[in-house]
Amino acid sequence: MLTNVQSERMVIISDLHLGNPFSNTTHLALKFMKWAASQNYDIVINGDGLEMAQASKSKIMSEMPDVFRTIKELRKQRRTIYYVVGNHDISLENFLEDWGYFKVSPFLNISSGKTRIRVEHGHLYDPFYVKYPALYHKLTHLAGFFLFISPSFYKLWINFEKWRARLRAKRTGIFGEPPEFAEAAQEISKRGFDCVVFGHTHHAGEFKLEEDKRYLNPGSWLLSCHYVEINNGKVELKNWQP
Amino acid sequence: MDLAYTKIMPQVIESKVTHEKVVLYQNGELVFEEGDSSRDLFIIQEGQVEIWKKTETTDIKLATFNRGDFFGDMALLQGGTRFASAKATGITKLLVIQPGGFLLKIRRDPTFAFEMLQTLSYRIKISNERLVDVIKKGNVPKETVDQILSLIGGQ
Repeated sequence: MLTNVQSERMVIISDLHLGNPFSNTTHLALKFMKWAASQNYDIVINGDGLEMAQASKSKIMSEMPDVFRTIKELRKQRRTIYYVVGNHDISLENFLEDWGYFKVSPFLNISSGKTRIRVEHGHLYDPFYVKYPALYHKLTHLAGFFLFISPSFYKLWINFEKWRARLRAKRTGIFGEPPEFAEAAQEISKRGFDCVVFGHTHHAGEFKLEEDKRYLNPGSWLLSCHYVEINNGKVELKNWQP
Repeated sequence: MDLAYTKIMPQVIESKVTHEKVVLYQNGELVFEEGDSSRDLFIIQEGQVEIWKKTETTDIKLATFNRGDFFGDMALLQGGTRFASAKATGITKLLVIQPGGFLLKIRRDPTFAFEMLQTLSYRIKISNERLVDVIKKGNVPKETVDQILSLIGGQ
């Protein structure tokens, strides 16, 4: 299984949730990937790219042909597309691997210049997901039901997380996230990584770790068009302006 | 390769918890020597480490490890003394995990366990391939081959 990768030009996007009733940025995500390929970037989809847990059948039926067509085009252009598996697409791992257009991995250790970067979806560090996986699964499906009624429920949830973060005594990490994510990034960085990139939380941001190491999260394209750019060892969080 | 102990004491630069520390080694400094009874596991934060094995006639370089690689796993997982010696090449910073802290490391950083298994699996594959090559050449007596194969087969 592929986990170690060398790349000088790469972009990382996360949590596209294509097929989710709340998702209205599919065309933007595809446009971004075409742009990235035209600029000779390899592409990493850092988990939850395709929605399974809260999928809307009509969304999938209408949007997936475009998604798969674009991926095929990018592969024809000899761009490498890495797919790091997240918690909403675990069930697709075999399919994505067999389909052959993605290089599927549980995480990636990327070397670029002298910089080492760990890219991982990050659900393993979500305290609720790890402690109560069955309940998490049920609540995810239940949340999918609310999203069918109105996608604005999702914005309410994200605002709730930010409000909860203000009340939290321990304020470590990217605003809105539980501190466990930055702590996990710190632990991983001790294995010789300069940067750690997670997704999962949908909160885009950057946090400075000990010894000048960094933790970045490009958030989710459900909310904003952030991405992490790797360019000859330089790692930056950017907001894409189509 | 001279494996004589260089007499430079490694510098502990960070030790926030009792079971884990960061140690700085100078160029040529020995991390551990073949036959040592230490059981620490090492992860390279910066620099490079070479693994050397003494034989009756010469010293053999078994491996070179770089940033992010781990070594010292055999003594930790199997017990016993160190099978080979480890020597720093250039200034080298190592994360040293003591036996009591290994499971805690895996609990806090679970993908490290995945990476260890992946690396160990790769090493077994390479060893098996080399063994098959040697057997094919017919240089090894049949009893020895059977003995090695039965050991590999899950003793």
